[in-house]
Amino acid sequence: MKLEIGNIFIKDIQFAAEAKIADGVLYVDKAALEKVVLADETIKSVTFDIAKPGESVRITPVKDVIEPRVKVEGRGGIFPGVIAKVDTVGSGKTHVLKGMAVVTAGKIVGFQEGVIDMSGPGAAYTPFSQTLNLVMVCEPVDGLKQHDYEKAVRLAGLRVAVALGELGRNVTPDETKVYETCGIKEGIEKYPDLPRVAYVQMLQSQGLLHDTYVYGVDAKKTLSTILCPTETMDGAIISGNCVSACDKNPTYVHENNPVVEDLFAQHGKTLNFVCQIITNENVYLADKQRSSDWTAKMCRMLDLDGVIVSQEGFGNPDTDLIMNCKKIEAEGVKTVIITDEYAGQDGKSQSLADADASADAVVTGGNANEVVILPKMDKVIGTLDYINKIAGASAETLQPDGSLKVELQVITGATNETGFLKLSAR
Amino acid sequence: MVKEVERAGLPVVHMCTVTPISMTVGANRIVPTIAIPHPLGNPALEPAEEKALRRRLVERALKALETEVTDQTIFED
Repeated sequence: MKLEIGNIFIKDIQFAAEAKIADGVLYVDKAALEKVVLADETIKSVTFDIAKPGESVRITPVKDVIEPRVKVEGRGGIFPGVIAKVDTVGSGKTHVLKGMAVVTAGKIVGFQEGVIDMSGPGAAYTPFSQTLNLVMVCEPVDGLKQHDYEKAVRLAGLRVAVALGELGRNVTPDETKVYETCGIKEGIEKYPDLPRVAYVQMLQSQGLLHDTYVYGVDAKKTLSTILCPTETMDGAIISGNCVSACDKNPTYVHENNPVVEDLFAQHGKTLNFVCQIITNENVYLADKQRSSDWTAKMCRMLDLDGVIVSQEGFGNPDTDLIMNCKKIEAEGVKTVIITDEYAGQDGKSQSLADADASADAVVTGGNANEVVILPKMDKVIGTLDYINKIAGASAETLQPDGSLKVELQVITGATNETGFLKLSAR
Repeated sequence: MVKEVERAGLPVVHMCTVTPISMTVGANRIVPTIAIPHPLGNPALEPAEEKALRRRLVERALKALETEVTDQTIFED
């Protein structure tokens, strides 16, 4: 499958009477977008705000981050099975509004939502301090159940992203990239000497507001399966997740998965990037066993030499991670796993809930329990009403001087397990 | 907790859903439970059925507690 990505560099966002993209500036018609959001009658109101890199702005509680895209050639549309009709995406041509994001925020859904600081020390920990953010703060109608509210905000964010993406349909991209994978036989013939490598992506699917959707299907109701990696670039996977902010994958990360990106960069050079295998992280032991069995079986059937496995979240998914690693290695396929750590505030505790000797090549996104002080910002988009309650905060989080004392856990993307990070260490 | 209580001389049954973690951390008597969000119950059942399920789990745990083990053991039924 071959996909051409045309990046339209967005250098600024401004509110205007007419929505358009001109000279790299995205002009947003607030009233039109309001209609897009309020089409769902469970949302009482929405306000839009713009947050730019370097500003003294804090956004919280952050639910999802989404990159606007539009399909200009080829089958299907962005977010198939959710916003666009079900059709196989990942081929043809897609335009991307690069350098910006839609951020959904507002009254808390669960207790695991995030913080994005646009400047100061917190900005270094989140990749979304570097994007021009169009923030939409949604308020639900009174009495709306939590899970209905989560769904309403999730879909509203995607609808807004699609509406903005549409503005890029007829804009000439500033940069074009081509991604292409081969069929099984074709790949073996074309690259006989290169190792066959796949990406095993574990999707958060614990339920109770910890969910991911693939072509609109709730991932906890799926069996491990195969994707062409370009499918995710067209929004085949979306986040419906109120799990800890630091290591969940916002929809933006699925659209821009760095493991996919880096494997493509090596495709045909040092390795043959065969496919992406997706599997879930369910809360029943039988599901964990079945899904990891299937993942390992597919790795064998595809005659892979190696895989990279990324986790999403922490705690019991550590077991899914170790099961995947152990079973895939037992099939004679080498693994590298990407995770993060909950090693305590002093870093001295065991990092993962589970372990095995076969997990001998591990990349970490960092210790989510590490404590940081985030100085007061001039402006808050959203609300600080829940800041002491979100995962990674405590009763002492909001300090008398307005600064926040928090674990990295609260910062959106701080220990991301696909490596979608700005910080690294040796 | 399981290991520290056992170190103090009292036998322990670890009732948990993810038994591989229990094996990794070194529990000796393990009783598998229902699911991570509801280890000792099942909201999908009628109240009477659920009560029976809970009783079965507790009885299995008590039986495990009085069973001599020489190695880490999972008490399936």
